[in-house]
Amino acid sequence: MSSRLSQLLFSALIMWACPSNSEQTESFNQMSSDLTFDEDFLDFDVDEFDEELSSWRDNFVIRVSHQVFGQINSHQVEPIPDLKIPKSASVENHRTGINIRYQNAIAPGWLVQGTWQGRIYWKEDYEYEANNNHVEHEYRVNELFVQKSTQGQSFKLGRQTVVWGETIGNSVLDVINHNEFRDFTIIDVEDTRLNQWMLLWDVFDEAASWSTFINLYPEFNPRPVRGGPFDFDLGYEINTVDRGNDPIFEVGSQWRKSYGASDVSIMAAYLYENQLRYEGSTPFSDKANPIKNDYILVGFSANRAIGKLLLTLDVALKSGVLIDGSSFVGVGSFNTPTDLKKDQVGMSLGFEYGITNYQTVSLGIQLKKMKNERLGLSEDQILPNQGIYGSWLFRYANRLKNDDLELSATLQGNLKGDAALFAGNAAYKINDNWTAGLQILTIHASETSELQYFTNDVRLGAALTYSF
Amino acid sequence: MLIRSIFTSFLIFSLSLSPELAAENISGLQIMQKMEDTQRATNDASFTRLKLSSCRFGIKNKRIGCAEKPRVKVLESVSINYGVDNKDTKNVSVTIKPASEKGVGMLTYSYDKAGKDNQTWLYLSALGRVKRIAGGNSDEDTEPASLFGSEFTTEDTDTGKLSEYSVNLLGEAVISGRDTWKIEAIPIGNRVKKSRYSRTLHFVDKERYVALRSEMYDRYGKEVKRSIASRVELINNNWVSRSITMMNLVSNRLSNMALVEIYTDLKIDEEFLTQRTLTDTAYREEKLSQLRTQLD
Repeated sequence: MSSRLSQLLFSALIMWACPSNSEQTESFNQMSSDLTFDEDFLDFDVDEFDEELSSWRDNFVIRVSHQVFGQINSHQVEPIPDLKIPKSASVENHRTGINIRYQNAIAPGWLVQGTWQGRIYWKEDYEYEANNNHVEHEYRVNELFVQKSTQGQSFKLGRQTVVWGETIGNSVLDVINHNEFRDFTIIDVEDTRLNQWMLLWDVFDEAASWSTFINLYPEFNPRPVRGGPFDFDLGYEINTVDRGNDPIFEVGSQWRKSYGASDVSIMAAYLYENQLRYEGSTPFSDKANPIKNDYILVGFSANRAIGKLLLTLDVALKSGVLIDGSSFVGVGSFNTPTDLKKDQVGMSLGFEYGITNYQTVSLGIQLKKMKNERLGLSEDQILPNQGIYGSWLFRYANRLKNDDLELSATLQGNLKGDAALFAGNAAYKINDNWTAGLQILTIHASETSELQYFTNDVRLGAALTYSF
Repeated sequence: MLIRSIFTSFLIFSLSLSPELAAENISGLQIMQKMEDTQRATNDASFTRLKLSSCRFGIKNKRIGCAEKPRVKVLESVSINYGVDNKDTKNVSVTIKPASEKGVGMLTYSYDKAGKDNQTWLYLSALGRVKRIAGGNSDEDTEPASLFGSEFTTEDTDTGKLSEYSVNLLGEAVISGRDTWKIEAIPIGNRVKKSRYSRTLHFVDKERYVALRSEMYDRYGKEVKRSIASRVELINNNWVSRSITMMNLVSNRLSNMALVEIYTDLKIDEEFLTQRTLTDTAYREEKLSQLRTQLD
């Protein structure tokens, strides 16, 4: 399996290294002055240009990709003392995907937009193996909304994303949409957001805007995909969330205004925690029951540009969040069987600096603290996160070869310092349609980390994408 | 800033057909100075469609052409001037093609005042929101940047700051069958450190005041880039080259910037040049549609 991965990676590298056209060109140091320019390839027919731009096909953007990604380091881990688990090199993702985006201004002030995705999971993909070694497929609507805009207002109804906060990557305010970290091929939170059915109402007034949303069907982070790297055998099944007879909803509003070199926002919302908490099995049921939890959010965010430096600040005050929340099912969610609610203060600080026009570095730090966290807990109850906890994220990005080659490196970890994840990405635009990408990801975690099972894993992947 | 630069690049090679410049006793500096005024006039209340094509080039039968299928970007851009003496600019630009970049929009407020940083916001659908970009004033603080991955850089398309150059009229030459002035621009002072060129030669059409060819030299005196202007047309009393090709003689790549459509003196609401235009597609399309009706 690993040799197959190597072959695909080698093929991708060959494509990367070779120009897309084999036609030879002359090489010259100094050009003659009497050369003329052949403009035949240019199209200056305005009518034809207009027609081309107004083609119905231009309402669609289609992206087809094929991806191979796997863990390549054969080693063993010891998640608990004396339990050694061998991990062999293997392909985890072997899939073909299609994303279709449709955007059409159907009438003055009206817009319809939708994105759909389909996936086919081939042999060696974990979804294939979870499907009794049969080719598996998946289809879903990511985004689908209709928008009506007037002079000072806009209404958007449908499946969509609402993003609050300024700090890229780990904002404490980026909590409206739920997320799915399905596997290690997607580690950026921007790529994990799942859309929800909402009504969004925006009011615009010069440099300020009000944005209000209502969500009548809040959704929650899905449980790990069967067969995926985060799918562990818990020894019991997990029930689906019980919405009860009373309708549940989320509602929130944000005010935003620009002041010179800064943008400032304040917001408030009534939300449900995206990550469900699970109650353990009981004598009456061998299944774990998910508990949904509502809370109040009050937030503030701002940015400030100083030359090539951008500073961001997000502050979130959450009232009534569960004290033992964890994004890992079976870790924080079970070892502290309590539904104690607390208030939480969260803050994200971001620093982005443009080294050159092509290179940027950014650092984001997220801090959280529960108020009176031990109040109401017995001494033997241990919280998954205590005191001030949070995460940090460092990114470096560089664009080379006339933006054809994009390199990026991401290093992230938690404030406890017991785990770190490094991801390196390279994306090369072969031409306007084709893009080849390489990705490497390594994880280092201590014995106390939730990521301990993945320590010393090295993942390598390649993807080829065709857009039109 | 990039958008403003790309938009004005058509004008760096174009000069107003002004009677006072018709006299023979003019200096290169006068020509460049007039160009600055022309740029602002043509920027104001404008709607532009640009086509940016890039490729590896080759020579066949003494003709330069693409040796591969060119990469094409299409952009729509709207600008207005405002502020004291109308010297500040607001610009919004949206990528139409290629498909992978469709909808990527940029809003820039550019300030004429020295030391006042430009403001730029970018809308990326992947982020799901508008993001402020801290780039400073790229004219003054940073090295020249490529325009949308093309062979054009901000330095190639920048106008003004003539005091940072020593501009000399060297003589006359015939280019593409037309009489031209040969003007040399040599960076001086702080510009020396920031410029990638030791000098630039412009061959300016004597009748139409358009630079038909420009040659850029590195610090070793080697020509590293060359631009060729064509399709010179009279638009709103300004001679404008609607096609400029920049050849990078080091990488053997060229980029052609085609001004497919340009309309000026339109009625544009200042509200359109706000962050809303980046995020509210229904609003943007309606306003653009209204602008297009002014074109008809």
